[in-house]
Amino acid sequence: MKILFLCVFTILLFTACSNKKEIHPNKDVIELHKNNTSESEDDFDDEFSNEEEDLDPLKYYNQAMTQFNDVLYTYALSPVASTYADVIHKDVRGIVSNFFSNLMFPIRFVNNVLQFKFQEAGEETGRFLINSTIGFLGFFDPASEGFNLKEHKEDFGQTLGYWGVGSGFHIVLPIFGPSNVRDLIGFSVDGMLDPTFSTEKKSWKIPDNLEKSIGLKTLETVNSTSFKLGQYENLKKDAIDLYPFLKEIYEQKRNHEIKE
Amino acid sequence: MKVLLKTIFILLAVSLSLHAIEENKIKEVMKNQIDSILVIMQNKELDKKTTASKVFNLLDSIFDYKTMSKISLGKNWKKLSSQQKEAFAKSFEKKLKFSYMDKLDLYTDEKVLIKELFKKKKNRIQLYTDLLGKDASFEIIYKFHKNKNNDWLIYDVKIIGVSIIQTYRKQFSAYLKDNTLEALINSL
Repeated sequence: MKILFLCVFTILLFTACSNKKEIHPNKDVIELHKNNTSESEDDFDDEFSNEEEDLDPLKYYNQAMTQFNDVLYTYALSPVASTYADVIHKDVRGIVSNFFSNLMFPIRFVNNVLQFKFQEAGEETGRFLINSTIGFLGFFDPASEGFNLKEHKEDFGQTLGYWGVGSGFHIVLPIFGPSNVRDLIGFSVDGMLDPTFSTEKKSWKIPDNLEKSIGLKTLETVNSTSFKLGQYENLKKDAIDLYPFLKEIYEQKRNHEIKE
Repeated sequence: MKVLLKTIFILLAVSLSLHAIEENKIKEVMKNQIDSILVIMQNKELDKKTTASKVFNLLDSIFDYKTMSKISLGKNWKKLSSQQKEAFAKSFEKKLKFSYMDKLDLYTDEKVLIKELFKKKKNRIQLYTDLLGKDASFEIIYKFHKNKNNDWLIYDVKIIGVSIIQTYRKQFSAYLKDNTLEALINSL
């Protein structure tokens, strides 16, 4: 398994490097071309990329999984979260959300450090200490309100991106939605740091088997969805074709998060 | 009285926008435009149709739909006849307008903060803005280009790093591989 990871990793690094080599001469040609015809019709083409540039070996699987997730969201997650929102008061849902968010501190801390964002890592530590104590086990967020310490979300996918690892091809995960090779590796590494997920007994992890882990993850997902009801539906209205639409949004958003 | 003030405000904003946007006025014009759009959208007395037509009036003077259509189709644009170009541009414009309204509809109680202006090239400017909500804020970047008449117009909008036109461009090129332009126009 470790060897597999290493292989994928090297391939990714390699593709990231070779991509760069390919792009540069092209750009020079475009620049030259533009200097000759200063206000040419294709003035915008170097600001926007084309579909042919994407490597998408899992296209048909991804399309099918996008449909599956769409049905799952529309007929299961969304109605459940909506009922949950009707029954549970917003303040209580806020407490649940704070509690989970506080527990994810190790992921944010480690990844801020790995990206040399030491100030952010420090703020995260301050937040964790304050919210775990004064904030009563992280149920409340006095760090934001009273101390102006903000959350700095970073995950291992972003860390890899920060280190120059290319995204690899796109993979739509069941339930979790859009991802790519880089972020899938990131996702599994972050899983090791996630106190709410474990398949065996470990001192600092809350669940000690898969069922309890899934239970916690379900609660977290339903709870966070209850704050975002209607957003997916609203976004979906803009899609001509759902899979390339969500894929493009995901990849652009991730690139933006990595640059930040 | 309030309604009167609002009307005057909107009229002012509209009259401002009738003139070409000059480079040093982009910030000011955009602030007025966005503010007046929010005023219109928050006015609950208006029915949906009136709201839409008022908002679209304001958008028309700052958005370059023709250029957006062209970029979104990429190299497919050149293959079209001028009639097809017009038909596509028309339905794409409509799609963009309604989608913009839809997004604003979600955020009518929020405030817009106009931040810096960056000149990327002699004919490209980006305006950074923040949509401030209760819990979170979103960065929205308006991308301007200078057209032949020296007007600065918006050719793309980036919301938290996601370019609207780029997203359409990818979808359109995928769609047009298996479908005709007529089918695309119908699906808009």
